[in-house]
This record gives sequence, structure tokens and C-alpha cells, in this order.
Amino acid sequence: MYFAFVLGIGWRLRKRISSSGDFLMSGRSVPVWITSLAFIAANLGAVELIGMAASGAKYGIMTAHFYWLGAIPAMLFMGIFMMPFYYGSKARSVPEYLKLRFDEKTRAFNAFSFAVMTIFSSGISMYALGLLLHLVLGWSFDVSVLASAAIVLAYTFLGGLTSAIYNEVLQFLLIVLGFAPLAILSVAKAGGWAGIQARLPANMTHAWQYMGSPTENPMGVEIFGMVAGLGFVLSFGYWCTNFLVVQRAMAAESMSAARRTPLIGTLPKMFLPFIVILPGIAALVLSKMNLGYAFPLKATGGPDYDQALTTLMAQFYPAGMLGLGMTGLMASFMSGMAGNVTAFNTVFTYDIYQSYIRPGAPDHHYLTVGRVTTVVGVLLSILAAYVATRYNNIMDLLQLVFGCVNAPLFATFLLGMFWKRATAHGAFTGLTLGTAAAVLTLCSTTAEGKGGWIANVYEFPSQMAQNFWIAIVAFTTCFVISIAVSLATTPRPDKEMEGLVYGLTKVPHDATAKWYQRPAPLTVLVVLLLVILNFWFR
Amino acid sequence: MDLRVPSGWFFTLVGLILVGMGIFAPDTRAALTTVNVNLYSGLSMLVFGIFLLLLAWRAARSNP
Repeated sequence: MYFAFVLGIGWRLRKRISSSGDFLMSGRSVPVWITSLAFIAANLGAVELIGMAASGAKYGIMTAHFYWLGAIPAMLFMGIFMMPFYYGSKARSVPEYLKLRFDEKTRAFNAFSFAVMTIFSSGISMYALGLLLHLVLGWSFDVSVLASAAIVLAYTFLGGLTSAIYNEVLQFLLIVLGFAPLAILSVAKAGGWAGIQARLPANMTHAWQYMGSPTENPMGVEIFGMVAGLGFVLSFGYWCTNFLVVQRAMAAESMSAARRTPLIGTLPKMFLPFIVILPGIAALVLSKMNLGYAFPLKATGGPDYDQALTTLMAQFYPAGMLGLGMTGLMASFMSGMAGNVTAFNTVFTYDIYQSYIRPGAPDHHYLTVGRVTTVVGVLLSILAAYVATRYNNIMDLLQLVFGCVNAPLFATFLLGMFWKRATAHGAFTGLTLGTAAAVLTLCSTTAEGKGGWIANVYEFPSQMAQNFWIAIVAFTTCFVISIAVSLATTPRPDKEMEGLVYGLTKVPHDATAKWYQRPAPLTVLVVLLLVILNFWFR
Repeated sequence: MDLRVPSGWFFTLVGLILVGMGIFAPDTRAALTTVNVNLYSGLSMLVFGIFLLLLAWRAARSNP
């Protein structure tokens, strides 16, 4: 265990020395297979591993919707329709695109809310890591949080975005190779998929059949909330507008590579549920089989699903492999934090500091600011980690944050990229009111005994359902208000929007490229595989 | 820098260590399984690591 960890650190040191170049943007020179893996690896942090195994044990195979419904369609849309505008506009960040397309205030709003969100995400990673080190190594929570923060600080401070991206890819490979054996062993022990189906209620092993009403399925969500809330608003909001993932594609070496980044990323993404969710489901089966395996209990009583993955590892991995598994887990937490910190860096330096605090300084000044921001970002994350200790399910908290920030944002981008009549005032009003609507919905409804801080207008059957509906409300508010205000204000001249809006931009057609290098055939392949998977686990 | 080189070496080394543990300490087993997990996981990592190194070597040869 110790040895494997030292190896991991040693590898990280080597990485750190070799990475150079542009601190905040990687100089747009990273090969496509690396950006593709980093694109999904940036999201494969604390939330995915611990949270997805926990959700697998809690909700069953329906959790796979977070991938098949909640990621792939949005990633395809991003690669085919949105990337030409991001990459083609020469913007350095998502907020900067908003500035080019709309105006300064929309960008400021997005930059600030995004900065808050990355800090939260990074804090949650840190919290999860602190919890893990506390459980496994017996370190105190405070020491673990501070130690992990110090390591992340060290390598993002030195290597910047390229270092973060390269680390993400290696961590991704480590996760896949380190956890695939666990999935195979635990599912085999549970009697294979047939054994799992025989031992669990049918609504845990079917992804679609029990979605008619919220009472029938373990997630407490009905089909409309699922498809519209998760599959459309939340997933498109996350994968298409979250600078954390978009930044990876923007670092690609060419327009064609940038478009293929999310498309190629969908292929591994599609099969991740088998590695991250299946062990959780298998853990639930094993806990019912009298093998001496049980979920640890929470202080408040009831099983602690967040520990499903680690306890399972302790049962299936001997010394050696166990160390590697733990190293992979820690690496993924840290690269999740690093991803957020680098995105926070870029947005703060370019969109907040360079725009409002001190414009026009020489470039090395901004490099210094970028490095200082890394330190500040990590400190703020530590603060956020302590906020996270007050919630029990990490996944739900994160969805809550996304609901308030990302959901209305996708409406703004959709209108901005595909409707040239959309105006700056419209976008800004829609965005602020959409976010306000999200916060208001959160504060006036309850789910599982939480929320309703202002009033209790409606009670949702589950927190999931509440999150999905908050997203739907925020998106609709933003969409409708943006259109209404846009129509009432003066449009921008077409000439100013070349390269920014659909219809005024030349989208490249790589007809001469090989079939696997063109977006369309790749998409067809992905959709085909996706339909087969969903049909299989219907 | 070609990322395939360091990651290839990383998996080759880890694979070798795990295979070594699997062969020389075959009795280190986990509670719920009788499989020699170290040996088989190590072998697959070793193969993957060498595969990455081969790819990197081929790429380096075709465009120096």
C-alpha cells in the first residue's frame, strides 16, 4: 500500500518537472486522445467514484442514467454543434465567449457564479478525500484535508493546466485498471447479472421500466423529470457550458480535434457505469447474502452507502492491489480538485482580474496572478470542504449547486449560439432571474425533510426529483425571459457576431478526412451503441 | 512530451510489482474471494503498460 502510494507520488514528481508552457491554457496543443480522456476524467473525481457506487447501492441500475441519459447526448451535442463556436471564437474561457457574444455584465455574472461553483466542487472532493483518509488510514479529518490540499496546491502551482490534464489522464487509466477487477470480482461473487437480478427487487435492475410514477422506482423520479431535468437541462448545462470540461476540449490542437474531443470521450464514458456503478449494486446484493459483508452504519442509523466502494475493496483486494486501489482513489480526488482549481484560475485571472481589477498589465503579471489564485482557490476549497460536512450525500449536494448555476446557463448559450436575435440585456435578465428562480424553488420546497427554508409550497418524493425540477424551472425561466427581453431590446448588427452565432459562422466540413475522424459517423456509432445498452438494461 | 511513455512505464512497473507479489506471496488473499487478485490484475497492467510503450515507440520511429 505504502509502496504503491510512493510510486504514485514519484510519478507525479516526474510529470511536474516535464510540464511547461502556457499555465492557463496549455497553448492549445494537446493531442486529441489526451483531451478526450481528460474531458471525461475531469468529471471522474470524488463524486463519480464514491457517489456513483453509493447511488448504485441506493437506487440500482437507474444510476446509469447519469451516464447514458445525463452525459452522452449532451457530449454529442457539444461536439457537433457547440464546439465550432467555442473554438472558432478564439475565446479563452466560457465567460469570455459570453462577453464576445453578449456583453460585459453577462460575463461577470457567469464568471462569478462559476468561480463559486468550482470552489464548491473542489471543496466536496476535498471533503470526500478527508473522509476516506480518516476511514482508511485513521488520520484526523482536519489533517487529511490540509494534507490533500497541500499536494494539489503543489502540482497545480507548478504545472498549470497541462499538468492537471496529464494527471487526469493517468488517473483515469489508473481508475479503470484499478477498479475493473473489483467490478468483475464483486459481480461474479453476487452470482453474475442473473444472480443480482434474482436477489434484488425488479425496480433496482431495470433502468426504464419503473419510471411511470415516482413511487414505483427507488429514485423517486418520474420519466418527465428524469428526461427533461437530468437528460436535458442538467446534463446539457454541465457538459456544454461548464468551463471545467469545456476547457479540456479548448486545449485541443485544432478545430477538428476540439470537435472530436467530446465525441471520442463518449465511448469510454458509456462503459464507465460497469466500473463505477455495478460494484455498488453488487455490494447491496452481497450484504443480503450472509457472507459476513454489511454496509457500515451511519451515526444517525441506516446504512452508509458512501462507504460501499471502500468496504468492498477491503473485502476483495489483498495487500498490494488494495494499495493500488486506494492510490487510484486518492489520485482521482486530487485530480478532481486540481481540475476545479485550474478552471477557477483561468476564469479568475482572465475574466475577473484582467477585466475588472487590473487590465492591460504585461503577461508575466497575469502569470503571477494565476499562481497566487491557485493558493487562494485551494484555501477557499478548504472552507467549502467544511460546509460539505453538513450534508450526508455528496452527490445530492453537487446536483443542488449545479441546479442553481448551470441550469439557466444552458438556455443562455442555446439562444446565444443559435438565435442571432438574442440580445445582451435579454441574456443577462434571463440568466439572473433563472438563477433566482432556482434558489427560490430550492428554498420553498422540501424533499426528504430538507429544504423549505422560506416556505413549504410543495414536497418532492425525493431529493433527486427536487434537483431535477429545480433545473427545469430555472431553465424555463431563463429561456422565456431571455426571449421576451431580447424581442423588446435592439438587436446587435450581424457583422459583430461573425464566428459567434449559427448562420453567421462557417462550420468546417472535413469531408476528406477518414471516417473515424469525422463527427457524423462517430456520432452514429455512439448513438447505436447507446440504444443497445439502454435496451439491454431497460 | 508523449504521455504514453511515462504512463506506459508506470503501468509496467506496477504490473511487475503486483505479478511479483502474486507469485512470491500467493497466500495474500482477500476475505471474499479465492482468486489470486494480485497476479491477474498485475498481468493485465503489465500487458497494458507494454502496449502503451510499444505505441509510443512506433510513434517516435515514424516521426522523429
